[in-house]
Amino acid sequence: MHNDLHSIKEAVREEADKALSLQDIQDLKVRYLGKKGLLTAKLKSLGSIPREQRPEYGSLLNETKKYIEALLDKQEGIFKSVELSKSLQSQQIDVTVPGCFTPWGHLHPITKVLDEIVGIFISLGFTVEEGPEVELDFYNFEALNFPKDHPARDMQDTFFISDDVVLRTHTSSVQVRTMEKNTPPLRVIAPGKVYRCDADVTHIPMFHQLEGFMVDKHIRMSDLKGVLQLFIHRVFGRETSVRFRPSFFPFTEPSAEIDISCVICKGSGCNVCKGTGWLEILGAGMINPRVYEMAGYNPDLYTGFAFGMGIERVAMLKYGIDDIRLFPENDKRFLEQF
Amino acid sequence: MKASYNWLKDFVDINVPPRELAHILTMAGFEVEAVEETEDDAIFDIGITPNRPDCLSIRGIAREISAILGVPFKDISVAIDKEEGEGPVVIINNPELCPRYSSRIVYGVKPGPSPDWLSKRLESCGIRSTSNIVDVTNYLLLEIGQPMHAFDLDKLAGKKIVVGEVGKADTFTTLDDEERRLSSNMLLIWDAEKPVAIAGVMGGQNTEVSSGTVNILLESAYFNPSSVRRTSKSLNLSSESSYRFERGVDPEAVTIALDRAAQMIVEIAGGITTKITDACPGHYGPRTITVALNKISSVIGVDLEEFFIKKSLLNLGFKIEGEGETITVTPPTFRNDVERDVDIIEELARLYGYDKIPATLPVMQMSPAPEHKTQQLIKTLKDSMVKSGFSEVINFSFMSPESLDKLNLPLNDRRRNFIYIKNPLRKEDSVMRTTLVPALLSNVSMNLNRGEKRLAFFEISNVFLPSTRKLPDETTQMAAVYHKGPTPSIWHSKHAGFYDLKGALENVFATLNLSDISFVKDAAIGPYLHPGKSCAIFIHNEKAGHMGVLHPLVAEAYDINGDITVAEIYDITKILKAVPTKTTYVSLPRYPYIERDAALVVHDDVTVSAVKEEILSIESDIIESVDLFDIYKGKPMPIDKKSLAFSIRYRSASRTLTDNEVDKLHSEIISRLQRNLGAELRT
Repeated sequence: MHNDLHSIKEAVREEADKALSLQDIQDLKVRYLGKKGLLTAKLKSLGSIPREQRPEYGSLLNETKKYIEALLDKQEGIFKSVELSKSLQSQQIDVTVPGCFTPWGHLHPITKVLDEIVGIFISLGFTVEEGPEVELDFYNFEALNFPKDHPARDMQDTFFISDDVVLRTHTSSVQVRTMEKNTPPLRVIAPGKVYRCDADVTHIPMFHQLEGFMVDKHIRMSDLKGVLQLFIHRVFGRETSVRFRPSFFPFTEPSAEIDISCVICKGSGCNVCKGTGWLEILGAGMINPRVYEMAGYNPDLYTGFAFGMGIERVAMLKYGIDDIRLFPENDKRFLEQF
Repeated sequence: MKASYNWLKDFVDINVPPRELAHILTMAGFEVEAVEETEDDAIFDIGITPNRPDCLSIRGIAREISAILGVPFKDISVAIDKEEGEGPVVIINNPELCPRYSSRIVYGVKPGPSPDWLSKRLESCGIRSTSNIVDVTNYLLLEIGQPMHAFDLDKLAGKKIVVGEVGKADTFTTLDDEERRLSSNMLLIWDAEKPVAIAGVMGGQNTEVSSGTVNILLESAYFNPSSVRRTSKSLNLSSESSYRFERGVDPEAVTIALDRAAQMIVEIAGGITTKITDACPGHYGPRTITVALNKISSVIGVDLEEFFIKKSLLNLGFKIEGEGETITVTPPTFRNDVERDVDIIEELARLYGYDKIPATLPVMQMSPAPEHKTQQLIKTLKDSMVKSGFSEVINFSFMSPESLDKLNLPLNDRRRNFIYIKNPLRKEDSVMRTTLVPALLSNVSMNLNRGEKRLAFFEISNVFLPSTRKLPDETTQMAAVYHKGPTPSIWHSKHAGFYDLKGALENVFATLNLSDISFVKDAAIGPYLHPGKSCAIFIHNEKAGHMGVLHPLVAEAYDINGDITVAEIYDITKILKAVPTKTTYVSLPRYPYIERDAALVVHDDVTVSAVKEEILSIESDIIESVDLFDIYKGKPMPIDKKSLAFSIRYRSASRTLTDNEVDKLHSEIISRLQRNLGAELRT
C-alpha cells in the first residue's frame, strides 16, 4: 500500500516533467487531485482500510497529496508566467506617440525677467511699491529735481496728457510718492511700465523699468556698489565685471552709469558692445538732497541711493534678443521660447 | 560734442594717446561715444550731460583733462592791439532775461573764404565752413562755448541794439529762410526799428552778413537759460546757440569770446574794431558752499586726504578757503551746476575714480517685509493661466479711438471716454487703452496671418478712464482670447473653444480658492460678443467679468476666421478682496457613497445648472454631488431636445446608506425632474 503511494508520487513527477503546457498540468491536477482523481478516490476509500492502519496510512496519503499539490502548483506557476510574458509581449504600444496634455502657455519674457529681478531684491529685504502710469508732472519731474524749462528734461522724451500730467517716463516717480507716505529706513523697488515719445529700431514707446532706492542714516555710495554688484552677479553670473563711471541724473548726486562686461563677447569687443567690451545696464547715484526736501525729509539727516534699469535691455542681454521691437509684437513663436 | 585732439592740445599738454584719453574721459563722466582717428588728428565724439554746459567747448574739455591728468591748463590770452571809436549803443529792456550783452563793431572787413586751418578745425568738429566772419563766430562757439552773432551793421537801423520783448512783431524770418511765428514770451534783439534776431536762438535774414558786407556788429551775450529754452521749444527750433544758452554759458567768458572774435576777424578779414560795449545790468555773483569734510566719507564711503581734496578742487578752478573740518568752496562762474556740498563731493568722487570706491553692503535695521498681496495674486493668476495653456502678451497702453468702432461699442459706452495723449507718435496710438480686447484681437489676427494655430493669449494690464481727480482711474484688468483653430493634435476633442476658456478661468478661480462663481447667460453683455454664446461671470453675486464667443462681425473686422472666444475680468483688485484669507480643513467622510446615474431628455432651453439646482433643492442631507458626464443631441430625440446624463453621489455623514433608501430618493428626484422640468428618462 505504501509502495502504491510512492509509485503515484513517482508517476506524477514523471508526467509533470513531461508536461508541455499549462493545460497538461491542469489535466494532471484533475487526474490526481480532481473530484474523481486518483488521490481523491484513495482518500474516499480510507474507510475500507483496517482501523489500526488508518492513522499511518491517512497521514501518508495527506503528505502525498500535499507533495503532488505543491509539485503541480509549482509547475503551473512556471507555465503561467511563461504564458503571461508571451501574452504581454504581444501587447505592444507605440511609446513615441505624443503624450496627451494641454500644452502650458508661456509667461512673457519681460515678466520672467522682472520676476527674477524682483525676487533678488525681495530676498535682500526690499519691498515693492507701485505708482500710477499716468503721473503728475510733479512726481515724474519736479520732485526729482527736473525743473520746468530745464534741458535735463530733454533726456526723456515725454508723452503729455496735459501741461501737468504726463505718462511717466521712469518709475523713479514712485520715489517721492513712497517717501511722502513712509519714514526711513526705506528699501524699495518699483517695477512697471514707462513711456517715452520715441520709436525706432532701438526704441519702443512703452517699456519696463525697475527703480530701486534705499534711504537711511548711513547709506554710502560704496553700499550702492555692493548692492548692485551683488544683483548683477546674480543675474549675469559671478564672472561678470562691473564698472561704475560718473554720469548725470538730476535726482542723484553723485550720479553713476553702471556697465557690465559684455555678456556676448566677454569683454573682447563685438558689435553688441560696439567694440568697447562694456554694456550700459543701470543708472544710479546717491539721492540728491533736493529730492528729500521735495518729500519733506530733512536732507541733513538722511543719505541713500537710487538706481534704475530697463527690463527690456536686461532681457535682451540675458536671452540674446537682438531686436527690442519683438517684445510688444507678441509673436507666438517668440513667446514660446521663454 | 565733437572735439579735436589737436585743438585740445592748444590748451593742455596731453601726455596720453587718443584712445587712452577717450577711456580717461569716459571714466571721468564724459562718455566718449566714438574716436575717429585721421591722418594728423583724432576726433572724439563726447556725450556731454546737461549739467556740464562748460564742456560744450574745447576749452572746457581741456580744463577737465588738465584736472584729470594733473597737467597745467594753458588758457588763451587775448590782446587787442588797436581800438578806434566807442562801441555800439546797447539798450537792455529786460535785464532778467539778458543780464549781459557785450558788443563791438568792426569796420572795414573783407568777407571771403576762411584760411585752411580755420575751416579744417570747424569741419573736423562738424560745422560747415561758410565765410571768414561767420566762421570766426562759430570757431568761438566751439572753442569757448560762447554763441556769437555777427550783424551787417549797415542793415541795422540806427546802428544800435535793443534787447526787448516781442511787442507788435508777429512773424520773423530767420537766417535759414524760415518765417517764424512769434509769441509774446519770446525775447528779441531789435535795431532802432525792427527785430533783427531771436535772442539766443537765431539771427535774422534782414541783417545777415553777406559777401558785400563792410562793417559788422558782433554780439556776445548771456541770455536767461529758461527763456531761451521756452523760445526754442515753442518755435521748435534748436540751434548750436540755443543748446548752449539753455544749459547756461559762462557769464565771464562773454567778453573773452568777444575780444578774441574781434581780434581774429581783424587778423583774418581785416578792418578795425571799436571799443567794447559791455552792458551788464544783471548780477551773477559767485556762490560759496561750505563742505564738512567728514560728510565726504559718509556719502561715498571713502576717506579722502585733505591734500587730494584741495588739489582736485583747485585743478577744477574752484577757490578754497578754510582748514580742518570744514572748508568753504567758491565754484568758478562756468560751473553753474555746482550748488551744494554733494555737488562738490561728486567732483571729488569723480576725480578720485568711481572704480576705486569699495563695494560694501549696507547695514540696516531688520523690518518685516509687507505681503505684496496684489503682486502675489497677479503672479498666481498668470501662473494659473499659463498652466491652462495661455501665453502672456504685453501690448502698448495706447490705442486708436476707432478700434472701439471695430468692437461695435455704442457711442455712449463708458469706454469711449478717453484720456488723450497730446503728442502721440501715431494717430493710431492717440488715446490710452480703455479695454484690453482690441490689442488681443490684433495679436490673434497677426499670428494667424503668420500661419500660427491654436492661439491662447492673456494679458494683465491697466486700463485708463477719466476720473474727477487730476489723474485718471487706472484699473488692472485681465483679458484672455482663445482661437481654437484646426488642431493637428491627435488628442483633440471636438468641443467648442468656449469651454476651454471657461475651464481655464475655472482653474484660475479654483487656484485662488474662490468659490461661489457663476456663469450667467446675458445677451446684452458686450456688443462684440455672440448674443447666444456669451455670459456674465459672477463672483459672490457681483459681476466680475464676462466671456463669450466673438461676434462674427467683429471677427470679420479683425480678419479672424474660426472659433474665437474672449473673456475679461474687470478689476483684479476686487478679486483679491473675494479671495478667502483662511483655508479650513473639512474632515474626510467615514462612510461609503452610493452612486446612481440619471440620463434625462430635456428641452434645449433647460440648462445644466437648472437641472442641478432642481436636484439640490430636494430636502435631503445625503446628496453629496451632482456631476454632468454626458450631453447628447440627435436621433432618435426630437430636434429641440437634448439628453443630459448626470451622476449623483449619495452619502451620509453618520451611517452607511442602504440601496433601498438611495433608490427611493433617486426615483423621487427623477419624478421631480419630470414634473418640474418636463424631463423624460432616456431609454
